Amino acid sequence: MGSEFNLIVAGVGGQGILFTSRVITRAALMEGKNFIQSEVHGLSQRYGSIRTEIRIGDDVFSPLIVPGTLDLLMALEPIEGARCAEYVSRRTSVIINTHLIPPIGAAVAGIRVPSLEEVVDALRLMGPKSLITVPATELAKEVGDPMVTNVVMLGAAEGIGVMPFEEGTLLRALEEVSPERYRELNVRAFEAGRRYTRESTE
Amino acid sequence: MKRGLLAPAGSVEPLLGNEAIARGAVEAGVDVTAAYPGTPSTEIGEALAEAARELGFYFEWSANEKVAVEVAAAAAWSGLRSMCFMKHVGVNVASDALFTLAYAGVVGGMVVVSADDPHAHSSQNEQDNRYYAVSMSLPMLEPSNPQEAKDLTVRAFDLSERYSVPFLVRSTTRVSHVRAPVRLGEVRARRGKGDFRPPEPDRYLQVGAIARKHHAELLEKLERIEAEAAGEFARVEGEGEFGIVTSGVGYLYALEAVKLLGVEVKVLKLGMTHPLPERILSEFLEGVERVLVVEELEPFLEDRVRAVAKDANPELEVLGKRSGHLPRVGEYNAEVVVRALAEGLGESPPVDFEGLRRRASEVLERLPPRPPVLCPACPHRATGYAMKRALGSRPVYLNDIGCYALLFQKPFELAHVTHAMGSSMGFASGIDVATDRIPVVLIGDSTFFHAGIPALINAIHQKRRVIVAVLDNRITAMTGHQPHPGVPRRATGEEATPIDIERLVRGLGVDFVRVVDPYDFKETERAFREAEKHGGVAVVVCRRECALLTAARVRRERGRIVPYRVDPERCTYCRVCIMTYACPAFVDAGDRVERDPAVGFGCGSCVPVCPYGAIVPSEGAVDWRRDGYGV
Repeated sequence: MGSEFNLIVAGVGGQGILFTSRVITRAALMEGKNFIQSEVHGLSQRYGSIRTEIRIGDDVFSPLIVPGTLDLLMALEPIEGARCAEYVSRRTSVIINTHLIPPIGAAVAGIRVPSLEEVVDALRLMGPKSLITVPATELAKEVGDPMVTNVVMLGAAEGIGVMPFEEGTLLRALEEVSPERYRELNVRAFEAGRRYTRESTE
Repeated sequence: MKRGLLAPAGSVEPLLGNEAIARGAVEAGVDVTAAYPGTPSTEIGEALAEAARELGFYFEWSANEKVAVEVAAAAAWSGLRSMCFMKHVGVNVASDALFTLAYAGVVGGMVVVSADDPHAHSSQNEQDNRYYAVSMSLPMLEPSNPQEAKDLTVRAFDLSERYSVPFLVRSTTRVSHVRAPVRLGEVRARRGKGDFRPPEPDRYLQVGAIARKHHAELLEKLERIEAEAAGEFARVEGEGEFGIVTSGVGYLYALEAVKLLGVEVKVLKLGMTHPLPERILSEFLEGVERVLVVEELEPFLEDRVRAVAKDANPELEVLGKRSGHLPRVGEYNAEVVVRALAEGLGESPPVDFEGLRRRASEVLERLPPRPPVLCPACPHRATGYAMKRALGSRPVYLNDIGCYALLFQKPFELAHVTHAMGSSMGFASGIDVATDRIPVVLIGDSTFFHAGIPALINAIHQKRRVIVAVLDNRITAMTGHQPHPGVPRRATGEEATPIDIERLVRGLGVDFVRVVDPYDFKETERAFREAEKHGGVAVVVCRRECALLTAARVRRERGRIVPYRVDPERCTYCRVCIMTYACPAFVDAGDRVERDPAVGFGCGSCVPVCPYGAIVPSEGAVDWRRDGYGV
């Protein structure tokens, strides 16, 4: 199964998960790689639990990833990342945005919400190959808008060097998929994320 | 060069299954397309609306699915190619027209897409619409992936025209909502204008003897389709004594399972599942000793396999749902199928799923659930807040299909019932007849137009006592903002005649009609209190634009959204805001409440909720109500 790359982008609705996925599949297409991606549309446009599953490789068939066979987990929100636990194994690299969004339903029902550290520790139980936290929402604010948290995470994924693309493809795909008025901001966000993980993995 | 849906022939584009279906219609030279939005079918329409603006064919978001079928059918009768599409339950609405359309047939090719939702991801049930093909006697194709979704749609148009019968294309969530590379084909010329000339004078008159004649003709057409066309979509792959019969996305899970186990099996992949190519199926079953049938939901293929095997191979062991190897509930994935395949072959599963699940459960039990919620700033939350204060737990709340169904959750609990499009209104009359409690209808604007009006007329006519809240957010919101008959523009951007809900309701004879801005809690509460005192049908139109549209406008006009904040000096941690308004931007910080600036939409609607005035605008924040946003 070395020729396949399985990736989940997880977070809450409104964080730009579909956009992030579109950049990745555009990059795959640019390199002539086959892929299959499943996404969720419909009920709950904002602040529900959302994930897309992307599989890149010549003989990937199922649009849904088999548990334990994930290569990269991009968690735009920590709780939603940890919710993908059953996919994580020794082959999985994990990157987690540090900005935790407590579900309002938990506050209403009086359910305790774990801290970032507790969530990260829980996910470590699955024994991932690597796990790194990224203050992506903070970095996004620094480059100009918390809305580009997803793009910071995309850069962070490039920075840890596991994406199955040539250097530069992902950034070119980002530029292509970005609407004109957000292109420059997106590029800065990508670079901020990439710089962060490169520096912290050195 | 254009990218995406309208890219030139020969290019490879990453398309969603639904976009691929739309591209297929475009390649087939479609002239008239119509639909009512519904997950997982909606993106077919988003794609068609975009293509129609560019290429000039006709697309409409219709008032409901039955109307869409009628618009498309009349176009096909006029010699044009037409398509309509709907979610599985939409076919229930359209079925009255569809059953008889099968008898009438078509002149131009006509395709009807049913997008089923195994797992009920975004639906009220998991019905398997393949049985409609059988009971309507309509031929049906089932694609497995986006490339097939496009290719089979094109073929469906050609065959529909050749046999002058509408073709069903049946998709499921994991075909419609899967993105993959699709190689595009040539776009054929459209016909433009048609002419209504029935092939025979009684072609479209379905009564008695004429209907019986057409019924017999239809069955003949199906026989010809089975003999001449069904084989084109069937193929056998691999070798072995163990067989798999599959269609739709089940085929992909089966391939993945075979790959994971590294076994040699023989696969019959079916593309036309009604009528089934029985000769091919029969030959396949003769050549294997055991067969696993992989299909989501009901044992549609499996029962046919069992029936055909009785003659073809009486010794054959058929594994599937009836044998307990595969479930009838929920959607499948490669794991479900690999477990069934491993069991059938007497092998052990390639992954230690149990161990994995055990360890994962230790992680999952530490996580709070995150069910779908109303967005920050959602006007439905404001309506729910005021309704709950005004009416409390006295009424029976008949909720309907739309985002507002989420008001079933705490702290609102404004849904005893959520059922089918427009059903709230009919149930309300029944509750009034049967009980002493006041029925309250919560129905969205789009749902009101779709199926609410006949039941409202009934309630008025029968002199029932009902409170009707029309939660009018000026758009079909849940499916991603499609226009409906109350909106002054069409899907393709042209001007439309908006239907005025209050004038319509007044015209029906309702004398209690109020229109309120739900952000005005006092006024909204008062309207509901007075509605309760009113004797007959009382209508309260709660009108405020979907917050996602307003937030986008604020961002456009002001450059960014400035959030509200909680003044820590004034917050007493009484938690009234969380326990009565429950906006996702509230954060319970343990000893006080905060607002997450990355979450809030900066609407200001929650300000009056706090008894201590602790929710305050940050510098430069907008007050949507005072500043005229969203109304």
